[in-house]
Amino acid sequence: MVKKAIALALILGLGLIFAALLLGYAPDAALNETAAYYATRTADEIGAQNIVTAIIVTYRGLDTLGEVTVLFLTAAIVGLVLSRTRAGDNAPRLSDLPPPGELLEIGTKLLVPLILLFGAYVFINGHLTPGGGFQGGAILASAILLMLLTDPLRRSSHRLISRIESSAGLFYVVIGVLGAALAGGFLDNRILPLGEFGALFSAGAIPVIYALIGLKVGAEFSSMMVSLSETEDE
Amino acid sequence: MVSAIHILSTGLGAAFLLGLLPEAWRGRAHLVTLAALALMSAIALSWVLAFAFDGQQMVDVFTAGVSPPFAINLRLGMAEAALSLTVCLSGLLSALYLKTSLITQGRRAMAVLLIAVMAFCGIILTRDIFNLFVFVELSVVSVGGLVLLSDDNRALGAGFKYLIVSQVVSILMLLGVIFLYHAGGTLNIDTLTAANAAGIGTGGLAFFLLLMAVVAEAKPVPANGWALDIYQAAHPAFSALFSAAAGTAALFAVDKVLVMGGPTWPPVVAGIGLFSFVAANVLGLSQTHDRRLLGYSSIAQIGLVLGVVGLKDVVGEHYLFIAGGILVAHAVAKAGMFWLSGLVAERKLSAWAVLRKNPILLFAFATFVALLVGLPPFPGFYAKWELIHALMAQDRVVLVALILLGALLEATYLMRWFGYALKRGADLESVQFEVRKVAVVLTAALGGWGLGYVWGELSGHANLLHSMALLFALGFVVLDGLPAWVKNTVAIAGMSAFFYVSYPGYDPLQLIFASIILLGGAAIFVAGYHERGRRLGFYPSAMLMYAGLAMLIVADTTFQFFAAWEVLTVGSYFLILRGKESEPHALSYIVFSLGGAFALMAGFALASGGVSEFAIQGLSDVAAEAAPWVFVLLAVGFMTKTAAIGLHIWLPGAHAEAETDVSPMVSGILLKAGLFGLFTLLMTMGKTQMYGVELTHVLMWIGAISALLGNLMAVFQEDAKRLLAYSSIGQMGYALFGLAMMNHLGWLMALMFVINHYVYKSMLFLSVGGVAKRTGTKLMYRMGGLITLMPLSFVAVLIGIIAMSGVPPLSGFGGRWIFYNAIMTAEYKLPILIIFLSGPIAFLYLFRLIHTIFLGQLKDEHRRITEAPFWIVVPQMLFVAFLLGFAVVPGLALRHVDAYIAQFFVGGGLSWDGLTITSPFGYWSPVSIMIVTGAIFAVLLAWLVFLNHKAQKVKQFNIVFAAERPHRPETTHFAWNFYAPYRKAFGFLLKPYATWFWDGVAGAFHGVAETARRFYTGDGQVYAFHMLGFVLVVYLIAMGM
Amino acid sequence: MVHIAMLTGFVLIAIGIYGALTNRNILRMIVAFTVANTGVNIVLVSVGYMMGRTAPILDAAVPVAEAANRIIDPVPQALVLTAIVIGLGVTALMLAYAYRLYDCRGSLDISRFRDLKW
Repeated sequence: MVKKAIALALILGLGLIFAALLLGYAPDAALNETAAYYATRTADEIGAQNIVTAIIVTYRGLDTLGEVTVLFLTAAIVGLVLSRTRAGDNAPRLSDLPPPGELLEIGTKLLVPLILLFGAYVFINGHLTPGGGFQGGAILASAILLMLLTDPLRRSSHRLISRIESSAGLFYVVIGVLGAALAGGFLDNRILPLGEFGALFSAGAIPVIYALIGLKVGAEFSSMMVSLSETEDE
Repeated sequence: MVSAIHILSTGLGAAFLLGLLPEAWRGRAHLVTLAALALMSAIALSWVLAFAFDGQQMVDVFTAGVSPPFAINLRLGMAEAALSLTVCLSGLLSALYLKTSLITQGRRAMAVLLIAVMAFCGIILTRDIFNLFVFVELSVVSVGGLVLLSDDNRALGAGFKYLIVSQVVSILMLLGVIFLYHAGGTLNIDTLTAANAAGIGTGGLAFFLLLMAVVAEAKPVPANGWALDIYQAAHPAFSALFSAAAGTAALFAVDKVLVMGGPTWPPVVAGIGLFSFVAANVLGLSQTHDRRLLGYSSIAQIGLVLGVVGLKDVVGEHYLFIAGGILVAHAVAKAGMFWLSGLVAERKLSAWAVLRKNPILLFAFATFVALLVGLPPFPGFYAKWELIHALMAQDRVVLVALILLGALLEATYLMRWFGYALKRGADLESVQFEVRKVAVVLTAALGGWGLGYVWGELSGHANLLHSMALLFALGFVVLDGLPAWVKNTVAIAGMSAFFYVSYPGYDPLQLIFASIILLGGAAIFVAGYHERGRRLGFYPSAMLMYAGLAMLIVADTTFQFFAAWEVLTVGSYFLILRGKESEPHALSYIVFSLGGAFALMAGFALASGGVSEFAIQGLSDVAAEAAPWVFVLLAVGFMTKTAAIGLHIWLPGAHAEAETDVSPMVSGILLKAGLFGLFTLLMTMGKTQMYGVELTHVLMWIGAISALLGNLMAVFQEDAKRLLAYSSIGQMGYALFGLAMMNHLGWLMALMFVINHYVYKSMLFLSVGGVAKRTGTKLMYRMGGLITLMPLSFVAVLIGIIAMSGVPPLSGFGGRWIFYNAIMTAEYKLPILIIFLSGPIAFLYLFRLIHTIFLGQLKDEHRRITEAPFWIVVPQMLFVAFLLGFAVVPGLALRHVDAYIAQFFVGGGLSWDGLTITSPFGYWSPVSIMIVTGAIFAVLLAWLVFLNHKAQKVKQFNIVFAAERPHRPETTHFAWNFYAPYRKAFGFLLKPYATWFWDGVAGAFHGVAETARRFYTGDGQVYAFHMLGFVLVVYLIAMGM
Repeated sequence: MVHIAMLTGFVLIAIGIYGALTNRNILRMIVAFTVANTGVNIVLVSVGYMMGRTAPILDAAVPVAEAANRIIDPVPQALVLTAIVIGLGVTALMLAYAYRLYDCRGSLDISRFRDLKW
């Protein structure tokens, strides 16, 4: 009880800070300097229609690299933790599990290619339309989730996932370094031609990077899910 | 030059590359990890060198080919490069240290480690607040991951608590970032600063949230319970990284963020940091778990740097030197200590005793402790000196006091720990340590020495590691493997040669002290030939003390003086610690000495008005308002060394429990350092008044009371070496009294005491030590009748007490004679009465030395003992010869000094005519006194022999136990409690008031620590409460300011 | 409008933190933190929002020349994406912890993990 009271008092204190922030907040009437720069210069400098994508992949590319790394780290750690407890695996046999059901089996076969395709579409078009590598990657991973639901004991994909994850990450870093070597700086997208504004193959390296991010995020989510599903087996 | 961005890209690329290697290639994966970390370190190193030697300017690294503030940029200056290097190297060494467990865990664990190091570098390099957030989160996740890999299951709980708190922190940080962006229209730190975003609208509040988030990463008390738990439970190599690298990164982040906030916030940060520093050190006092203690020490050190970061404007141009010095010293030492803790199997502090069989690890341990305490010649020493001076220059007296208090507390628990390691715990068989891990530890220790050299070069003072004396002393660390007699010879030769070379440069006063230190020290070393084997650790310690002493007497500036003072303190501490039972006494010695040293530092800083390079001669023109305080601080500092009453409690144990040939060194020679300091003080500052009270008058009183009580306490000792130790307190009281008289004869008398005390105290300690070696006890009532078995020792003691008691014909009489002349000229009469009174008391205890040890009945168990070891007797005989010679021709030394002193006082000198010395009150002819006394002695002796020639020898028989054995057999011994009636009379004077007082102080600190640490309940949610409460309280305080 | 969104965000943060501070069950704490994180994300996007403007995509509807007057601030949108992903990573890590903690102690009560203290 005392604890709740203290918690409440602390939250109230925090609430006062929040209130000060909220009441003191006045929405901008015009874009600030940074945003205005992005609004006017993105088309020339980056060649991406989606300004948010330009910011994520190029202007603030280092953030995004870090963000991808957070996922990579988490996947690695989750894998490590779960693999530790998996030692001494008394693997269950297929017959122990209830069958997935016809609907799910057929549905999976039908949907997985479509989902994968859609995911790829989302990340490849990231510089043109809403969406991008993270969203696309999450979609890819949902296909893997569907496959896992159908066949929880499927193991074959494990190494492949890890390969994809690491090589996508490595290429991402390599592209970054190429940017520093060939263009204006680390992660500069102009190592490839900017192309025609609004076209699929435009905005320099952005589609490549977003494809790598998509693959990587998809792989990471998948590897976490695979790890989790394997622990559930016990 | 390779761009700084590649520090990051190398780490990341290698982490991803590891994922591509086959699972089975674990050894190769480890090599890749090491190579990546080495490459990152190399890049950072190349920049450090470029900044240091090529005049390289600070560079901005752009990403995305767009200039800031529109894209993220990194910045690399000297500070960034050096700190990145620290981070990468601690990562590299930790990875090396962790080899086995990394290979077991596999490549994913290695990737996590790489990313952690990369993230810390990112925090240091980036100039964008959101990017800072990303790197902070990366470090959170990787730290969380690494903790998860620990073998200790309790680490899981600790890691989760960390995640809880960091969630709260990251919420605050994101809110801060976004509202700061709203206020300033950018995320770039420099642009935000230029736009004064923290002054616009909600920008101030946003800045506060961001600041609190980065400050929280520096683990301030009390919002740091999680960090302590991690330090305690995580793998030590990880804790090393966490303390060294994460702490470094967090501090730099605070430094970066703080510039955005305007003038309100630096004092707040300084307050948080210094509070953390003092509080963590108090809490550390009651820790018994080694890694948790290191955790507290980490928090304290980081708190100190945080304080300096907040005081950036106050410390001005020395900012990087000070903050960097403390920070790198902390990083190297703390990493090293954690690596060491990985070699120790148990978690008790005394379990570190396993290290003492391994000289390399012990050397490393001592190095790390010295780095943390800030002893010379390490960076923390230079940094602390500059810091105190910079603060003094701005009259921040309270801060100076807080910092010195915290530093003293930290020194207390670290030194106590070192003492445990050396002295406590079972004497184990030497344990085999993995070579790889030992190499990592040794690298850190050598790195510490390297940094000491670098900081010495940067300091603007003379680099201590260029001092011949110090280098010679350190050389013995290298020579330590040689047999003791070789080192002994080298030491004697070296000290004599040093004296010979330096001789022309000394003025008469210095010459007297130099002769005692260098020649006198060499004479005591003769006794060292007695030791067989290698006597590990003895020579480096002793030579360190002598080096400090030799540097002290020639010091021109306050810095040199203080450095020398610390060197001799450290050396003597190690020396005292060598005694069998001396661990607690060595601790109280070092604590008092460091306390005194800090008083000196504060006094010097106050005197110079904050100018760090200040000539000692300048003490004579200290501004009038500061002068009394300077006088008090310096006098207190010096009196801790001379063990004036009230500050004396360390002395008896330290001197009595030391080894046989160490007692004379620390008594006969070391105490003179304090007297030299007092000479210097009085020569430069002279009479000084505080609120109308004449301070030299106060000193005179202290001297008189020390003389009285010191002697009185000596009277009631049963332990012969303790008796001698207490008598030193009295003797130093005499010398202090003489100095404080502030007249010619008083000073001459003090100098006479300097010489005499060295000779007879060294001699008596050696002879009593020799006796104790043979009889196996230091208790006098268990000895007796040794005169026939140990005649040479008897002669030495006899001559010693004749000299000391001041009866003719020996030099003690000369001292008395000058003394009586001096007090006739003194202005004050009451303290003189006390001094007179203490004279006869000295007879009482001196009599016991002869009577109880050498006369009376021989104990049965002592019938077969022989004279003391040859090499212990040799120096005694040297001293006997010297005493006889000095008694005849005292003018040899005193004449020059007399002339030298004459420049300070008008008139009152002595006149020297051949061998006769004349004062206004009479004359002293040493030769005729010698002849007269000799004649009387011969007559008396002849008469005695004549009376006794018919005496009959009676066989001794045992009458002690008639029927039953008494519960305490010694109570039946006539020599036990010899002066019981006197004790009845004077006992009230001897209540250990000082001991009670200091015990009370220590008890209070421990009590506070014991109670306050319960604040850390171990509950993750409570830690989150602490965090939020901390933020709110800081906010309220800041608003109130 | 913006203020309402922002208020919602702040309330969610407060609820989340309160929940995390008072629930002893680790899984509940994790859920509470995701609530708080969501609140933070809402605050983040609401800071960039501007009445009457459109998404920062330069398609046919928003020509480059008019972009500066037509689109909302794209920066918070970019930041929020990063913040979401990072929040997800931390949540996953906390879950991994919860798994291991349960594995070790058979309990998810945070007050059971107090053997390190003082």
